[in-house]
Amino acid sequence: MLSREEVLKIAKLARLTLTEDEIAFYQKQLTRVLGHIQDLNQVQTSKEAFVQHVPNDAESFREDRAAPFANPEGLMRNAPAVENDSFLLPTIVEHS
Amino acid sequence: MEFGTQTIQELLAGYRAKNFKPTEVVEKYLKNISERDEKLNSFLQVRPEETLKRARTLDAQIDNMSTLPLFGIPLAVKDNFLVNGWQATAGSKVLSGYISPYTATSVERLEAMGAVVVGKVNCDEFAMGSSNENSAFGPVRNPWDLERVPGGSSGGSSAAVAAGLATVSLGTDTGGSIRQPASLCGLVGLKPTYGRVSRYGIVSYASSLDQVGPFSRTVWDSARVMEVMSGFDPRDATSSKRSVPKFTEELNTNSKRTFKLGVSRAWLEGVDSDVAKSFDSALEVFKKMGCEIVEIDLPHTKYALSTYYLIAPSEASSNLARYDGVHYGYRTQSAKNSEELYSRSRGEGIGREVKLRIMLGTYALSAGYYDAFYLKANQVRRKIQEDFEKAFTQCDFVVSPTSPSTAFKLGEKTDDPLKMYLSDIFTLPVNLAGLPGLSMPCGLDSRNLPIGFQLIGKPFGEAELFLASHQYEQARGQFALPSMLKGKG
Amino acid sequence: MSLEKYESVIGLEVHAQLMTQSKMFCRCPNQFGSSPNTNVCPVCTGQPGSLPVINKKAIELGVRAAVALSCEIHPESVFARKNYFYPDLPKGYQISQYERPYSTQGHIVVRLKSGDEKRIGITRIHFEEDAGKSNHESYGTLVNLNRAGVPLIEIVSEPDMRNAHEAGQYLRALHSILRYADICDGNMEEGNFRCDANISVRLRGTEKFGTKVELKNINSFKFVEKAIEYEIQRQVFAIESGEKIIQQTRSWNSGKNVTEVMREKEQAHDYRYFPEPDLPKLMISSTWFEQIKKEMPELPKEACERFKKAFELSDYDASVLTSSKELAKYFEAVVAHCKNGKASANWVMNELLGRLNAAGREIGDTPVSETQLAELIKKIDSGEISGKIAKTVFEEMFATSKDASSIIKDKGLVQISDPAALESVVRKIIEGNPSQFAEYKAGKVKLLGFFVGQAMKETKGQANPALLNELVKKLLDS
Repeated sequence: MLSREEVLKIAKLARLTLTEDEIAFYQKQLTRVLGHIQDLNQVQTSKEAFVQHVPNDAESFREDRAAPFANPEGLMRNAPAVENDSFLLPTIVEHS
Repeated sequence: MEFGTQTIQELLAGYRAKNFKPTEVVEKYLKNISERDEKLNSFLQVRPEETLKRARTLDAQIDNMSTLPLFGIPLAVKDNFLVNGWQATAGSKVLSGYISPYTATSVERLEAMGAVVVGKVNCDEFAMGSSNENSAFGPVRNPWDLERVPGGSSGGSSAAVAAGLATVSLGTDTGGSIRQPASLCGLVGLKPTYGRVSRYGIVSYASSLDQVGPFSRTVWDSARVMEVMSGFDPRDATSSKRSVPKFTEELNTNSKRTFKLGVSRAWLEGVDSDVAKSFDSALEVFKKMGCEIVEIDLPHTKYALSTYYLIAPSEASSNLARYDGVHYGYRTQSAKNSEELYSRSRGEGIGREVKLRIMLGTYALSAGYYDAFYLKANQVRRKIQEDFEKAFTQCDFVVSPTSPSTAFKLGEKTDDPLKMYLSDIFTLPVNLAGLPGLSMPCGLDSRNLPIGFQLIGKPFGEAELFLASHQYEQARGQFALPSMLKGKG
Repeated sequence: MSLEKYESVIGLEVHAQLMTQSKMFCRCPNQFGSSPNTNVCPVCTGQPGSLPVINKKAIELGVRAAVALSCEIHPESVFARKNYFYPDLPKGYQISQYERPYSTQGHIVVRLKSGDEKRIGITRIHFEEDAGKSNHESYGTLVNLNRAGVPLIEIVSEPDMRNAHEAGQYLRALHSILRYADICDGNMEEGNFRCDANISVRLRGTEKFGTKVELKNINSFKFVEKAIEYEIQRQVFAIESGEKIIQQTRSWNSGKNVTEVMREKEQAHDYRYFPEPDLPKLMISSTWFEQIKKEMPELPKEACERFKKAFELSDYDASVLTSSKELAKYFEAVVAHCKNGKASANWVMNELLGRLNAAGREIGDTPVSETQLAELIKKIDSGEISGKIAKTVFEEMFATSKDASSIIKDKGLVQISDPAALESVVRKIIEGNPSQFAEYKAGKVKLLGFFVGQAMKETKGQANPALLNELVKKLLDS
C-alpha cells in the first residue's frame, strides 16, 4: 500500500493540491493499479527493444525559414492576467 | 424532409440533384440539436450564426461542388480539437472559456473541402475515460437508451451522429476512444494507423498513442472523410509521408475480395454472451463471402492493460503540465503565492480520473522508477507489436468484438477505475501496436443495444479495412436506428 | 589564508544560442528585442494541441560546433523531455537531450598567459530550446515568451580547469570558435552566450573532489575571472574557518563584487526525463555530416596558421590578430588596402589594440576604420609622413575619428622630404653649433646624432629621418 507521504510527494511533484478525501482515494486507487501493473514483470524483455512508434517515413526536419504567426493576439486573449503585454502571476519566491 | 440519418453519399447526391441547399440541411441539423440534445448533452458549443454564415457561402458554390468532396456535410468536432474562434475545453474545467487561436490540421482539411462544423461535442476530460462520465460538463447519454453511457472518451462525437445531430463527427482514439463509443452507439468508428492523420491541433493525451478518426453511419462515409483528412502534415513530426489512396474510389468499384480473418479465442474470454453470439454471427457472414477464419495467438495482449496504463499516464502527466493557470485556462482565486497558484489551479481545475492518471504517470517517471515502469512497459509494448506482426503472416485482419459488453448504465462503473479500464481490453492493444482498427455495428443485444465488430489491419492498411468492412456492410444490410429516431429522417 | 595549499576544480557549462532564422521547434523568427509576446506562436507558447518540428539548420550548426570542438558525433541521438514547472517554461517541460546527446568527448586547447597550452576536455554537447524570460517585480512576476523556443546548444566541459585564468581562457577560446564558425553571435549582453560555473576546492595533492557550488549569472567576460576567483577564495576561507561547503547555487553580484546564495540545492529536481514522443530520433547521416564538415567556415586555429604564412607573422602575433573574428577581419581589410602586412600587424596590435583595451572598448567599436588606418600606413610608406609623426596623427585619429589626411593638413604635419629645404636647415644647425662641429671634425662621430636631433627639432619632427640623416652626414663630412 502506497503511504500517505508518498501520495503527497507525488502530488507535490505534479503540482496538485489534494483534499483529504482525494488523498485517501488516490492512495487506494494508485495502489490497486500499481498492483495490477506488476504483471509486466512476468514478461521477459531486453533493454534494446523499445517501441519505435514514429513511422519510418516521417519527416524529421523542417527548413529554417521564419514565418511569423498570424494571430498573436489570439494567444494573449486567453491569459488569466496580463500586465505590460506580459503574463502576470504572483511573484515567484523561489527561482527554479 | 427529415434530416439526421442521411449519409454523406446521400447528401451529396441530393445537393447534386439540387433537391436542397447547404443552408437548408444545416438549419435542419441545428434544429435537431436544439430539440434533441438537451436529453443527450452531447454538444458543448454551437454557434448557429457562424455555422449558417458558412453554409450560405457554400450555397453560392453549389455549381462547383464537384471540387468539394465534403460539400455541405454537417460535422461535429470533439472538444479536444482546436478550431479557430471556437472553444476547446477537452471536457475540462481547466480549459473552460479557452478560445482556440488556430485550427487543427484535420479540421482545416475537412472544412477546406466543404464540411460545415455544426458544433463542438462533449468528451471525457482530456480524452481519459470509457463512458463520457468524466466530463466537467456532465455526462453524455446514449441515444439508444438514455440511462446508459455512449462510451468514451469520444462519447459526444458518437451520440451526436447516432442521434442525427451531425452526419459525421471527429473523435480521438488513444486506447479505444473512437471504436468503443462507435460500438456502443451502432456506428462505424475508425482509428487510423499511428501517423496517418495529423495530430496538430489535438489536445495531447498520450503522444505515442493518440490518433484522430471519424464516426459515421457507413464505411463509405468513413472512407470519404479519411481520404480528405489523412496525409503528411509538416506541423506534425510524427505524421507519415505515405501517400493516401482515394479510398472511396476503390469502394465504388464494388470488387469482391476474400480475406483471412485471425481470431484469438484466448483473447476473447470474458465477453458477454450476446456479444459473443453476435460476433460469431458476423464471422459466419464473412465465411459466406468466402473468407477464411484462422486461429491465431496473441500471447501478450493480456499485458495490454498494464502496458497502456503505464505509458499513457506517463506521457499524459507531462502533456498536461501546461495546464497551470499561468498562460491560459483556469486560474484559482485562492492562491497566496506562485506555488499555490500552480497547485490550486490544477487541483481545482482538473477532475478526479485525470488527476489519478497524472499521479500514476508522475510516479512511473520519477527518479528510480523509470526503468521498472515506463521503460519496461515500452519493452512489453514491442512484444505486443511483434505478436500482431506474427499474426499478420497468417491472416489479413485480426478480428474481435470491439467491446466486451454493450452500453452499461450511467454510474455502473464510476466507483472503480480498474473496472472501467477493462472496457478497453480489445481496443488497447491496437493503439499500442500503432495499427489501424475499425469498428462496425454487427448486431443488437437482448436490450436492443448495439454490438460492434472490430477489424484490425496491417500498418497503413486502411484501404483493405474499408474494403472488407464495406463488403460485410453490404451483406449485413441496413443497421437499425435508436428508437428516438424511429420514424424520423 | 594559505591559498596555495588548495587547488580549485572548475567545470563550465555554456549555453549558446544558434544563429538560425527561426526558432528550434517552430517558425517564429529567431530575433532579439521585439515587444513582449509578439514573437510567439502556438508551439513556443505551449498552447494545447501544438507540436514541435526540428529546425534542420539548428542541427547543422550544432554539428558544426561539435566538429570545431573535436567532438564525436553520434549518428543517432534522442530528444528528451525535462519536466519541471516554471512560468517561463510554458509547456511545463523543456525539450532537451539527456541520456543520448548528439555529441560527446571533445576538447579545446587554450593558450595561457604563461605561454603554455592546456587541453580542456568537453564532456558533451546537446540541443535544447531556450525558455522565456521572467521579470520579478514587487507586485508580481511578468513573463515574456519571445525567447521561448530559441535553439540552444549546451556545451559541458570536463572539470579540467584549475584556476580562474584557465576558465577565462577556455571561455574566450570557445566564444571565438563559435563566432568564427558562424554558430553563435556570442553576445553576452543579449544573453545569447551564457555561462555557469561549477566550482569546488580541495587540498593540492588530494584526489577527492570537494563539494561543488554552482555559480550562475556570469553575464560578461569582465566578471568571469573575478567571480570565479572570489568564489574560490570564499570556499578556501570557509574551509580554513572549519565550515563545510554547502552545495548550493550562487550568483555574482557585480555591484558588491561578491557571490551570493541564489537558492539552496536541498533537493535535486526530479526532472522525470523520458524520450520526447512527439519527435523521431535525431538522425545525422554520414553524408550530411561530411557535407557539414566540408562547408565549415574557417576556425581560429586555421586563420592563425593562414596569417602566419600569408603575412609572415610570428605565432604570437598571428594568434592575437585571430583571437576574434572581427579583429581578424579588420586586420585583413587593413592589409588589403595598404598591402603592408608587417606594418598593419604592428599598428593594429600595438597602437590600436592598446588604446582600445585602455578605453575598455572592443574592435567592433573602433573609432578608426580599416580604411582610415590603411591610409595612414600608406602615407608612411610613401614618405608623406614619418613613422614618428604618424603616431601623433593616429592619436588624433583615435580621439576624433577624422581621416589622416585632414589631420595632417590641419596640423601641417606633412613630412619634409625636399633636400634643398632640409639642407638649409642642416646648414643653419651646423652654423649655430660651432663647438660641436669642431668636436665632430676632431673625430667625435657620435655627435652625428646630436645634429640630426637638432635638425629634426627645428623641423618639428617633420623631416624625413632617412634623408635628414644622409644630408647631415654629407654636410658634416664635406
